[in-house]
Amino acid sequence: MKTTGNASASTSKTGGRLTGKDLINVGIFTAIYFVVVFAVACLGFIPILMAAICGIIPLIAGIPYMLFLTRARKFGMTTILGLLTGIIMFITGMGYFSIATGLVFGLIADLIWKSGSYASASRAILSHGVFSCWIIGNFLPFLITANTYLPTVRAQYGDAYVNELMTYLQPEMYPVLLVACFATGIIGGFIGRAILKKHFVRAGIA
Amino acid sequence: MRLDPRTKMVMLFAVSTVLLLGGNGGAMFAVRTAMLLFPFGLLAISGRMHAAGLMLAAYLGSYALAAFAAPTLEGIANAITVATATVVSRFVPTLALAYFVFATTTVSEFMAAMGRMRIPDWIAIPLSVLFRFFPTLGQEARAINAAMRMRNITPISRGASYVENCLVPLMSCAVSIGEDLSAAALARGLGAPWPRTNTGSVGFALVDAVVIAVSLAATAALALSLAFPEAIAW
Repeated sequence: MKTTGNASASTSKTGGRLTGKDLINVGIFTAIYFVVVFAVACLGFIPILMAAICGIIPLIAGIPYMLFLTRARKFGMTTILGLLTGIIMFITGMGYFSIATGLVFGLIADLIWKSGSYASASRAILSHGVFSCWIIGNFLPFLITANTYLPTVRAQYGDAYVNELMTYLQPEMYPVLLVACFATGIIGGFIGRAILKKHFVRAGIA
Repeated sequence: MRLDPRTKMVMLFAVSTVLLLGGNGGAMFAVRTAMLLFPFGLLAISGRMHAAGLMLAAYLGSYALAAFAAPTLEGIANAITVATATVVSRFVPTLALAYFVFATTTVSEFMAAMGRMRIPDWIAIPLSVLFRFFPTLGQEARAINAAMRMRNITPISRGASYVENCLVPLMSCAVSIGEDLSAAALARGLGAPWPRTNTGSVGFALVDAVVIAVSLAATAALALSLAFPEAIAW
């Protein structure tokens, strides 16, 4: 991503320790990122769409993520973004697996972004593809704690719902979901970059 | 009534765990129900009767929908009704608790508690900004929505580009608010090379002990029922 004069004024220099300002930026972008994820996840009310939100979230979440990367010019910021997203998912009741997936995929995304010296457009898009894989953490409770979780659901809501849900959440579906996250993450990266160029660079805030 | 932020964290952990993993049998049903009603009770005690009532109504309504309406429906209608009810009844209690935690904790108290727990700055600062920022973001979103309605820009008239119409102004103003926030925080000594002092006072009282005891008891009951399913299945 091309650095404009304005961007270097609003962000600190590449590399070095994280300053208070960097950490505040991470907090702000986590908030925006979460709002986007939460708004899209509300579509997951319908069981057919529940698995599909995997593919819809990254399409839109790419917009805040790409703007975030223009401010994340130090190692660690993307990792913290992933970790915090996981923590909020936990607070809002999506289980704690997202904390682990957020941390792991955030770290890999961070390394990818770092490898492009925090300036490569293609690395930014790849980084969003990897980062988006954290969403799989929201589905892991169905897989890992299924033995304790499913009988509860079955007793409360009957077989029809569980069967409907489980046709989409078979164990062999998880690699597919992961690939879907990654692929739509890449597409979302392109969308985010296009929006960035169209609005934010022009307005001088990217 | 004031709870220590650390107590609230223990409570968040206990409620999320118990509601996520559930557990079976009559005893666990009682524990789960207790943990479900816990957040609504706290909201009511802290003086947010309106929100507590509204959320409890949403919870009971969706539960009743799943229990009474679902068996009479067939096929896809059944699946949609049950799914909506499940999602609402699963997330409303944790959302109520999250609302309680956000609404009753000041940034100052939160930072003080984080400091006492020796949580490093790189996680405490973004988290406190996050808490501070949600209400602001909500206000901005409402203002943007109003502006868009005035110009007749709706999801129906714009389709997918409605997302762009709303998200771009939201992000632009979030960025500029962020700049202000950084300046304010730096002026208050954030990022100084020595530890900050804090005006928020935190400490444990009797009510904290009670809440922590209840949270731990519920988590222990869950662990017991998972480890020995027969032991307390009555």
